[in-house]
Amino acid sequence: MGDYRVLNTRAPRVDAVAKATGQAKYADDFSMPGMLHAAILQSPVAHARILHIDTSKAKKLAGVKAVVTSREAGLIKYGVSPARYDETLFAHDKVRYVGDEIAAVAAFDQATAQEALSLIKVDYEELPAVFDMFEAMKEGAPQIHAEFPGNMNAEVHQEFGDTEAALASCDYVVNHTFLNKRQDAAFIEPHSCLAVFDPSGRLTLYTSTQVPHYVMRTVAMTLQIPVGNVRVVKPYVGGGFGPKCEATPLEMSCGLLAKITGKPVKMTYTREQVFLHSRARHQFFAEMSLGVMKDGTMVALKNKAVLDGGAYTSFGIATVYYSGSLLGGPYKLRSMKYDGYRVYTNKPACGAQRGHGGVAHRACFEQLIDMTAEKIGMDPIEMRLKNIMTTGDMTVNELDMSSLGMKECIETIKAGSDWDNKKGKLPRGKGIGMACGFFVSGAGYPIYRSDTYHSTVVIKLSEDGGVANVLTGSAEIGQGSDTTMAMIAAETLGIPLDNVRVYSGDTDYSVDLGAYSSRQTLMTGHATKQAAEEIRNKIALYLSEELDVPVASITFSDGIVKFDGGAGNFDKLRTNYIKEHRGWTDPPSGEYLTFREAARLAYLKAGTIVGTGKYKPPKLGGSYKGAAVGTSPAYGCSAQIVEVSVDLETGQITIDAMTDAHDCGLAINRTSVEGQMQGSLSMGLGECLFEQVKFDSRGRIINPSLGEYKIPTALDMPKVKSIIVESNEPNGPYGAKEVGEGAIMPTIPAILNAIYDATGVRVNELPVTSERLFMTLKKKAEEA
Amino acid sequence: MLLPRFDYYEPATLEEALRLLSEMGGNARVIAGGTDLLVRMKLKVEKPGYLISLRKIPGLDAIVRRENHGVTIGPAVTAAELSRNELLLDRFTPIALAAGRLGAPVVRNRATIGGNLVNARPAADLPPACMVLDATLKLKSFSNEREIPVGEFFRGPGQTVIEPNELLVSIFAPIPAPWTGGAYIKLGARKALEISMVNVAVILTLQSPQGPIIDAKIALGAVAPTPVRAFAAEEFLIGRQPSDDVFAQAGVIGVGMCEPITDHRGTMEYRCLMIETLTSRALRQAYEKALTWKP
Ligand SMILES: Cc1cc2nc3c(=O)[nH]c(=O)nc-3n(C[C@H](O)[C@H](O)[C@H](O)COP(=O)(O)OP(=O)(O)OC[C@H]3O[C@@H](n4cnc5c(N)ncnc54)[C@H](O)[C@@H]3O)c2cc1C
Repeated sequence: MGDYRVLNTRAPRVDAVAKATGQAKYADDFSMPGMLHAAILQSPVAHARILHIDTSKAKKLAGVKAVVTSREAGLIKYGVSPARYDETLFAHDKVRYVGDEIAAVAAFDQATAQEALSLIKVDYEELPAVFDMFEAMKEGAPQIHAEFPGNMNAEVHQEFGDTEAALASCDYVVNHTFLNKRQDAAFIEPHSCLAVFDPSGRLTLYTSTQVPHYVMRTVAMTLQIPVGNVRVVKPYVGGGFGPKCEATPLEMSCGLLAKITGKPVKMTYTREQVFLHSRARHQFFAEMSLGVMKDGTMVALKNKAVLDGGAYTSFGIATVYYSGSLLGGPYKLRSMKYDGYRVYTNKPACGAQRGHGGVAHRACFEQLIDMTAEKIGMDPIEMRLKNIMTTGDMTVNELDMSSLGMKECIETIKAGSDWDNKKGKLPRGKGIGMACGFFVSGAGYPIYRSDTYHSTVVIKLSEDGGVANVLTGSAEIGQGSDTTMAMIAAETLGIPLDNVRVYSGDTDYSVDLGAYSSRQTLMTGHATKQAAEEIRNKIALYLSEELDVPVASITFSDGIVKFDGGAGNFDKLRTNYIKEHRGWTDPPSGEYLTFREAARLAYLKAGTIVGTGKYKPPKLGGSYKGAAVGTSPAYGCSAQIVEVSVDLETGQITIDAMTDAHDCGLAINRTSVEGQMQGSLSMGLGECLFEQVKFDSRGRIINPSLGEYKIPTALDMPKVKSIIVESNEPNGPYGAKEVGEGAIMPTIPAILNAIYDATGVRVNELPVTSERLFMTLKKKAEEA
Repeated sequence: MLLPRFDYYEPATLEEALRLLSEMGGNARVIAGGTDLLVRMKLKVEKPGYLISLRKIPGLDAIVRRENHGVTIGPAVTAAELSRNELLLDRFTPIALAAGRLGAPVVRNRATIGGNLVNARPAADLPPACMVLDATLKLKSFSNEREIPVGEFFRGPGQTVIEPNELLVSIFAPIPAPWTGGAYIKLGARKALEISMVNVAVILTLQSPQGPIIDAKIALGAVAPTPVRAFAAEEFLIGRQPSDDVFAQAGVIGVGMCEPITDHRGTMEYRCLMIETLTSRALRQAYEKALTWKP
């Protein structure tokens, strides 16, 4: 790989000091003179007709400035994908889950707002409710949306090749089913928003989001403000993982209340409201058959999915497509059939979460591969390698693996974990397992149909020539995208990282679709690189004209300009610069012309120096229905090996070690890549062993807190060996691609395969609590 | 989430605290670490008009050795302190181990033994440990003082015999006999920040390293409305030679003392099976610890 000065290092994050010292401001830290505090009234029942809403008492309470319901908000439908706009800001005819929003109030302080909520009287006529996705599909089940009979929110049917015929021709067909549980993303910072409506008619939202651009559009649409008059600013964000990928009732309510009162309005969700808003990982049921030949060649995969969507669509259309399309690789298949169903139930809506749509089905598939390998007497790694795709391969569903270090990932973890000496050789109670996976580096298409660029970036040099200011609408949400963009700009301009400042997360800066589908490194990265190149070219052109040297002879690195690789003759420029700065104490010295001198002089000649960059993927994918979902300019991939100990007397599982390899193309920042890899592991571990949002018989969440919804603690995490594999992605900036989500794909099946190795039982339902494993072991012992 | 309104007092003497308690009666709550109380207040389960802090009262956070007969633990001693106290680790092992499994470091730095006992949650960590050590609780009001064996303290979930005007002022535990060992095991979903699905504290006394068992105490948490002693299992053990088989049988008998419930953390069936397994496991650990006893 190239000889980089800034890229591929372990540069400290650009926001490290602000965060470590507490200077970093999050949405809830914001305050303004005259600011009002808002609160939302949410339905206490899962399914009911709203007969009457009486807000008169609440309005009369001293300190209350506004009370709004659907009457004030209107009934404009919104959602994530225009094909399924099925939400209104406030429920008007029906509530569809415990937590459905009915009204909002703005008051002097939070206590008054809460009291006002308690004074709003809603008459409900309760309706029968349905909480289980299979029940919801049955005839006679309560109907949640009149427009969607049978509670069928979305159906997908895709087939590539003749799957039944292919399965019939196989030596073995192995079947498996799998059920995960609804998750919460458990980010640390609850959603929070401050809305300011200025007299000129402009609405500004300071909000904790992954997608300022989409929030801007949705809020403009629902509040009927021209889109150019809505500005969304994302301060520092304490995690998103997917559920912060869409506009929330919190943001829209704050905006509406600010518009009505003319005062700044702030609201922050409680942890319970975060659970109620949800939009996190669906519950998936997977049913699969894999057909193989005796020698281990994979031939055909049949895959069915049922998704519990909750009461609204959110990202669900994409989710139900992803559960099919993301099994196209990384193994060669001759045919693949997919049938997916997303079902409405009277629970909070599910949406996108890290590994969107792919995680549960990947878990089922990778278990199935191990089961098949066992059946034909083959080492599971050997079987995977036999079928592995490599760079340049195309999946049956036409996803183009323009770079794919899958084989390298598998080989490196095999060596790194001493697999050969452990697999099949560990005592009972100890096990080792592995799995693979891949993921998109940004969705090929925006969520709404448009020819928009996915990312634009503006870089403006400061007029003193010293600093490159990168302006981008992209969203730093803790993943390190500001640092990534700073590094790309610094490398491209040939200046030290300290001389770059990133201004991000503001819809006024540029268009950027935001932090989802692992897209920013590739897409915002491209735009940043292009903007920096334009600046570099402008300065080179200026120098070329001034010094009468060819542009091609000029290079920039470490803040220094070289001519034909040497100092060149730039005396004239230095003299000019020093004249410009007579009396200054830090005249430039040294044998080379500095970037700062060149940039300052170029400004004197031509005015402020600005570069712009833009990126949108080329047209991708096949022409079949749904071909757009799963397409990406590039795919990251990973393989993991997990070692476990199982306490056979209690069923308790300890993850002893994890070895993890990920191909992210060029690792822009090695520490950040490892951070994403390890964060993915911990999230996958939690989903596998502990996490489940639980409901009582009336659809109320039993465990809406981080005390009772159990994510892994530091003590639950094993030692992790993270190995970065770097293919060179032709479609990525400097060869870079994703790591944020792909790294979670193998974790759950690798753990499950290790548990099987340790105990001889296959668990096909999550979470694998000690009780679930113990009872499965007991049942097996009783049957024997 | 907002706290309800309350007035806050920080009396500097025990007497002052007791006087405030007697004047305010049922409308006041004592606050120690606040890790239970403040959570319940935020959830509006409790709305006391007054909080009386123990912070400034001297001596309540001390662990004092009583020569050769026992230890007195102040109610405001934190779980962190209990878990690293040498005397407790050596002679009163279940208390130190249970305290080390309570919550996570940030919680242990605030959570107190007094709060844990008075709070009386069926799954709490310290009550079973105090029960096997035969602890006595001293309760004091402005005009009265009484001592209650910890086994008689709990009445039900969140319910104890303490009166609104009383303060728990100390916990006394007699020093166990020679050749005694103790153990504590907690079963939860993850390795920290857990509410027990089952927990068990055990004390085992041998006549000599060669046996037999001359005393045994077993207490179980999260298996009934209050922590319970497994008396029948204890009686079974006394007089027997320690062995894995004997410990396993004691585990089976121990289950008979329990009436665990099914809730979202675990089923009754699994809990019963785990009582059996963990009781015999804890007995084995206590036995191994007893063998290392030093004068
Ligand atoms: C995140 C978290 C994790 C937790 N994990 C565990 C766990 O693993 N195991 C466990 O057992 N508990 C756990 N708890 C509960 C709690 O931390 C413990 O019960 C703790 O010991 C309570 O002590 P405290 O000093 O904070 O009590 P406080 O909240 O101050 O008081 C609790 C109750 O006791 C009363 N009280 C306190 N001291 C006295 C006194 N001297 N006299 C009379 N009344 C008194 C108070 O009035 C109040 O009613 C956890 C709590 C949290 C928030």
